[in-house]
Amino acid sequence: MGFGKYVGARVLWAVVVSLIITTITFLLLAAAPNPAIREAATQAALQGGDPSAAVERERELRGLNQPLYVRYMDFIRSIYTLDWGWSESRSQPVTEALLQALYYTAQYSIPWTVLTITLGPLVGVYSAANMYSWRDHVATGFAFFGYAIPNFFFGIILLLIFGVWFEVVPISYDTSAPVFSLQNVRQLILPVFVLVTGSIGATMRVSRNESAEFQNSDFMKTAKAKGVSPLRAYAYHVMRPTMVPLSTTLVGQLLALFIGSSLLVEVVFGIPGLGRLTFNALISQDTNLVLGSTLVFTFIAVVGNLLEDLVFTVLDPRINYDDR
Amino acid sequence: MSTRQPLLEVEDLTTTFSTDNGELTAVDGVDFSVDEGETVCIVGESGSGKTVATESVTRIVKEPPGRVRGSVRFKSRDLLEMSEPELREIRGYEIAHIFQNPQEAMNHCYTVGWQIVEALQIHRDVSDEEARAKAIDLMDKVGIANASSRFDDYPHEFSGGQKQRVMIAMALVGDPDLLIADEPTTALDVTVQAQILRLLDDLQEEFDMGILFVTHDLGVVAEIADRIVVMYAGKVMERGDVLDIFERPAHPYTQQLLNCLPEIGGKKGGIPGTLPDPLDPPDGCRFAPRCEHAVDACVTGDQPEEIEVNPGQRASCVHYRPGRDDSVVRDGIPDSTADGEEVSSADD
Repeated sequence: MGFGKYVGARVLWAVVVSLIITTITFLLLAAAPNPAIREAATQAALQGGDPSAAVERERELRGLNQPLYVRYMDFIRSIYTLDWGWSESRSQPVTEALLQALYYTAQYSIPWTVLTITLGPLVGVYSAANMYSWRDHVATGFAFFGYAIPNFFFGIILLLIFGVWFEVVPISYDTSAPVFSLQNVRQLILPVFVLVTGSIGATMRVSRNESAEFQNSDFMKTAKAKGVSPLRAYAYHVMRPTMVPLSTTLVGQLLALFIGSSLLVEVVFGIPGLGRLTFNALISQDTNLVLGSTLVFTFIAVVGNLLEDLVFTVLDPRINYDDR
Repeated sequence: MSTRQPLLEVEDLTTTFSTDNGELTAVDGVDFSVDEGETVCIVGESGSGKTVATESVTRIVKEPPGRVRGSVRFKSRDLLEMSEPELREIRGYEIAHIFQNPQEAMNHCYTVGWQIVEALQIHRDVSDEEARAKAIDLMDKVGIANASSRFDDYPHEFSGGQKQRVMIAMALVGDPDLLIADEPTTALDVTVQAQILRLLDDLQEEFDMGILFVTHDLGVVAEIADRIVVMYAGKVMERGDVLDIFERPAHPYTQQLLNCLPEIGGKKGGIPGTLPDPLDPPDGCRFAPRCEHAVDACVTGDQPEEIEVNPGQRASCVHYRPGRDDSVVRDGIPDSTADGEEVSSADD
């Protein structure tokens, strides 16, 4: 069966890609000066000791006196065994810090992603069905507005209006709120809204333009001649083929927004998620934590692209995966 | 033919489209009818309104911007008076369509079986197994080898001719009374064309269908038609039995059209000139600007009334009006009085 082989090959490629990325990351780290060693030397010099002996001691302590390939093997093993080191700025293991952050990030990014991939195509197809009418113009205007306005700015404005003036949403994020509670909904509604308006524009425009092509297709005429109702025709004969080109752009768009916007939105709304964790790790020069969060984003990207490849072939039966 | 009951009677059918440049009249007051089990061909060059006329019958033209007026009586019900849901009951079940381009007429995301079953299950509440069995039976009937194993194949796995066969199978789900075939063989190569025409002929007998066949290919017309309706620029120019029209075409347009057939006329370059602007059609006969027999009476008023030129054959041409000498246009091909020498010299 060609499909099983194709999936296997794609998964294998994903593993190879992630290995290449971790290798490059390792080489960059190995080539860069380690701030901890410099600090040890400075400390020794200040206390009247021998800086070079202190450097030697520190290097031994951190295993840096080992040959490069041994360190590489150690590094790779620790990456894949999820032993990602100790975060000095947070005084906890890196994986623990990442998991805690992911818990908060997931709470807004899951509803955000679900809303984007359901509402985007729906609004897009609706817009195409009413092309150049006022409904289309309203939807298009809304899409471009969300697309154009910077997320963090939009977030601040909304927070000012609904948090400060109308006081319908809290202005500070409360981490103790249970996941499924009205309180959590209220504090997450603005960040989700801001992110959805930012991401739905691109999705909606792609679906609108792709489905415009399909709604004038010969097979739509066939469907009509068969007696298919307009609603069913749009659901089955327009929406379905539109998903194919959409799936190729969706993952990339969502990932770009996820990595870029989540940081800004988390800072604005005070959510202690992955974006803010990365930001703080960079500020406090916590190398292990920076490395860890970089790897999280990398793996999300690799897995996302893998899913996109698989979804694409499942959606479009014309794609031949036998030779790939 | 005379014992047959009229199945479809179209009267004064007018289909307009609103465009940015004004109202475009694609079909302008056209009448035609199809009897039970009969094949009627609408012929004419591209842009003459043939396709729009047939798509107006079940109103599958896009409305808006399209607008269909007139009367379309099918088994003594007026389709143009019906609501959308009522029409949907008839579409694909009592009146089925097949189209010009089988490559694009099926959705590439679904198996052919799914698409045939969809056509059936929209109209009748049948189980998936029953629908599948019926679909395979129909695929078998239209000549798809190994129908049961091809049920789950996608359209791209079929050749053009096979796709058109699948489209025909899809059209047959409701045992339709009328099949509207819009240039179903134009996109196919000649050998496949002949097979599809033969298939339609066989199925017409088996299912006792009337067929409304649109084509610009007079060779195809000669093979399948019982009666012909010649359209030009949204108007009917001439109508009659296939033999009469081929033997004694009355309207100069029909004569010119037949002259384009290589076996008959061999006239080089086809008919000089182009179709009139549908946004601003000329006064009088639509064909007058391209007609070599045009006189002053041809370019004033409306399209001339249809006049019986032979029993069962009618032409919309001023030259057949009482008191006029119709010899200038009568029997225009191939060795007519008007351009006989020209034609015979082209034959050399």
